Amino acid sequence: MNDLALRLAALDPEAGAAVRVVGHFDALLEARAGLQSIVRGAAALAGCPARLVDPARGLVVRVLPDGVVEAAGEHAVDPAWPSAEVAAPGVLLWLEQSGPAGTVQAVVLERAAAAARSVLQRTRSHAPVEDPASVELLVDAAAPEADRLAAARRLGVTATARVVALAGGRTLVVGADAVVTGGDRAGVGPAVAVAELPASGELARLALRLTAEGTAEDPGPRVVHADQLGSLSLLVRAADGRPVPDVQALAHAAATGPWVLATLDAVATSSSLRDAARTLHVHHSTLQDRLQHAEAALGWDVHSPAGRLRLQLALVLHRAGRSRP
Amino acid sequence: MTTTSPSAPHTTEQRGVGAPRPPFDPEIAAVLQVLAGVMPSSLTADLIPVLRQPNPALPSITDEELGRGGTFTVSTRSVPGPAGAPDVEVIVCLPVGAAAPVAAVLHTHGGGMVIGDARTGLAEIMDWAAELQLAVVSVDYRLAPETPHPGPVEDCYAALLWTARNAAELGIDPDRIVVAGASAGGGLAAALALMARDRGDVALAGQLLIYPMLDDRNDTFSAHQMAGVGVWDQVSNDTGWTALLGADRGGPDVSPYAAPARATDLSGLPPAFVDVASTETFRDEDIAYATRIWQAGGIAELHVWPGGCHGFDTFAPGAGISQEARAARLRWLRRLLAP
Repeated sequence: MNDLALRLAALDPEAGAAVRVVGHFDALLEARAGLQSIVRGAAALAGCPARLVDPARGLVVRVLPDGVVEAAGEHAVDPAWPSAEVAAPGVLLWLEQSGPAGTVQAVVLERAAAAARSVLQRTRSHAPVEDPASVELLVDAAAPEADRLAAARRLGVTATARVVALAGGRTLVVGADAVVTGGDRAGVGPAVAVAELPASGELARLALRLTAEGTAEDPGPRVVHADQLGSLSLLVRAADGRPVPDVQALAHAAATGPWVLATLDAVATSSSLRDAARTLHVHHSTLQDRLQHAEAALGWDVHSPAGRLRLQLALVLHRAGRSRP
Repeated sequence: MTTTSPSAPHTTEQRGVGAPRPPFDPEIAAVLQVLAGVMPSSLTADLIPVLRQPNPALPSITDEELGRGGTFTVSTRSVPGPAGAPDVEVIVCLPVGAAAPVAAVLHTHGGGMVIGDARTGLAEIMDWAAELQLAVVSVDYRLAPETPHPGPVEDCYAALLWTARNAAELGIDPDRIVVAGASAGGGLAAALALMARDRGDVALAGQLLIYPMLDDRNDTFSAHQMAGVGVWDQVSNDTGWTALLGADRGGPDVSPYAAPARATDLSGLPPAFVDVASTETFRDEDIAYATRIWQAGGIAELHVWPGGCHGFDTFAPGAGISQEARAARLRWLRRLLAP
C-alpha cells in the first residue's frame, strides 16, 4: 500500500491520482473486499489514520496509514476531521487529521465511503440468515421471551434490529442500519431491541400494506418505512373494517380511466404540478385536463393543500384496504 | 454421439493450461490493477535493461535507513570471491553494543537472477535484525545474463564462507547463521543450504525461503495456470532461467546449485521456512520442495497465502495477508534462534 501510494504520487499529477483512487476502490469492490480492506485503502491513500464508526452496532474499524489495524482506545472522534456518511443513521468514515481534506483525500473519502456503503448493503440486507422458523418465533408476540431470545442467538441477532415484511409473506430480521432497496415490495419496521422485535414486526406488516407495485395500475412506493409513517399507522388501524367514503370515491374515480390513479398519485406525491407532469411523462396541459376530469369524478379539489392531504390519506387507506390484517 | 476413452492421454490441459485460477485477495487485486499499468506480467529479455533503471517511485534504501537511528553500523565491504573471480561486495549491518555474539542472516536478494542489488528487499531483513538483534550480510552477487551459472551462486557462497570465517571479528555466532532470500534470492538461499551441506564448510542454522525460484523446468501446474496473470508469470520465469542457464534451461544437465528443485537428495538440510502465494507461478514447485524435505526426514514449515501474487507483500505491504505473511517469517526466526 505504501508502494501504491508512492506510485500514485510519483506517476500522476493530482487529477490522474484521483482517477487511480477511483480505480482502487472499484477494484476492491469488484473483488468483494471487506470493510477492513476498504478502510485500510482509505488510510494508505489519504496518508493518515482512517476510522469507520457505526454507533448503532458498536462497530469501529480503525487503520493506520501503514495498514496496521489499531483500536481507537482513548482517541475520540474529533468532529472537525473530514468525514463522509456511509449509511444512515450516523455511520461515518473519518480521516484523522486536522484541517480540510486535500483534493485527492476528498476523492479517497468519497470513494471509500461509497465502497463501504456497498459492502454494508451486501452483507447486512442482502444476506439475511435463512432460518424461517427462528425468524417466525423471534417476531411472535405470543412466544415466551426466553424462546425469542434463544431464536435471536441462533440467528446471530445481538444488537438492535428491525423486521422487514416482504410481499409474499416472507419475514426478515436485519441490522438496524441495513439499507432495504429494490427487489420485493417491503415494509420495514422500526429499529428496536431484540426483545421488542414482535412490535417491529407488527409495524413492518402494517407498512407492507401501504406499499404498491409502483406501476401505472398500482402507483405508490415499493418500500415503506414504518419509522416515517407518523400518525398514519393510527389512522390505518382506525379505518380497518369500516367503509371510508373518500376511498370509495377514489375507487369510483379510478374506474373512469386507466390513467386516473397514476395521475392522482403523482399529484399527491410531487412538490408541484410541473414535477408531476415530468413523473408521468405528459405535457403540463395534458395533466391539467386529466386532473380536471379526475377531480370531477372524485368530488373534491386536489389543488389546495387541504385537498391534497385528503387525497394522500385516501390513497394510503385505499392501499391499506386491499389487504386487511 | 459421445465416445469415452478409458485412459485419456496426458494432455496439456491437465497440466494447468487455461485452468481457472484461485482469485486474488481483494487488496492484492486492487494493487495489481495499478501494477499492471507499470509492469507487464510477462517480462522478456529485452526488458531487462529497462528494469535495471532506477525507479524514482521506489528509491533504494539508504545507509542511514539501514542504520535504524544508529542502532546498527552499516558498511560496504569487498570480500574474496570464488576461485578466479573478482571480489564480491557485501553490505554488512551489525547491531551496536551486543553483549554476546549474535545470530546472522546471509541475505541473497531477489530480481529473477537478472535485476536488483544488495539493497533490494533489505528493509524487511532489517526489521528482523532490529527485532531479534541479528547481524545482516547482504550479497551483491553478479547478475545473469552477463554472469551465467555458477557465477551468481558461487559469489553468494563466497560471501557465506567469509561471514563464517570472520564470525569472531564480526561478533557473529557461527553456529547461528541463517540464509534467507525472496524469489530468485530464495532459490539462491536454498542452493547455499545444499552447497553448505555437500561441501561441509559451514553448518547453517536455517534457510528462510520466501516464494523461492527453484525449478528451471518451469512446467508445473501453477506455472501454466498463472500464465499471463499477476507478477512473474511463466514467460518472465523463462526469461530469468534462460538468462542464467542459456540453452541448458530445462535440459537434463542442470545443477541443483542452479535450480535446487533438481536436487535428488534433500536430506541433511537445516530447518527450512518456505512461503508462497496461492496465485503465483512458484506455488507448486515451492510446495513440492517443502514436501520433499519432509519426505527426506527433514524439518520444514510451509505457508501458502491465499490470493497472493508473487511478491504480494512487497507490492502491498499494508494488506492484511502481507502483514500476516511477514509476521509468520519473524515468528519462525524467533523460534529457530531462541537460545
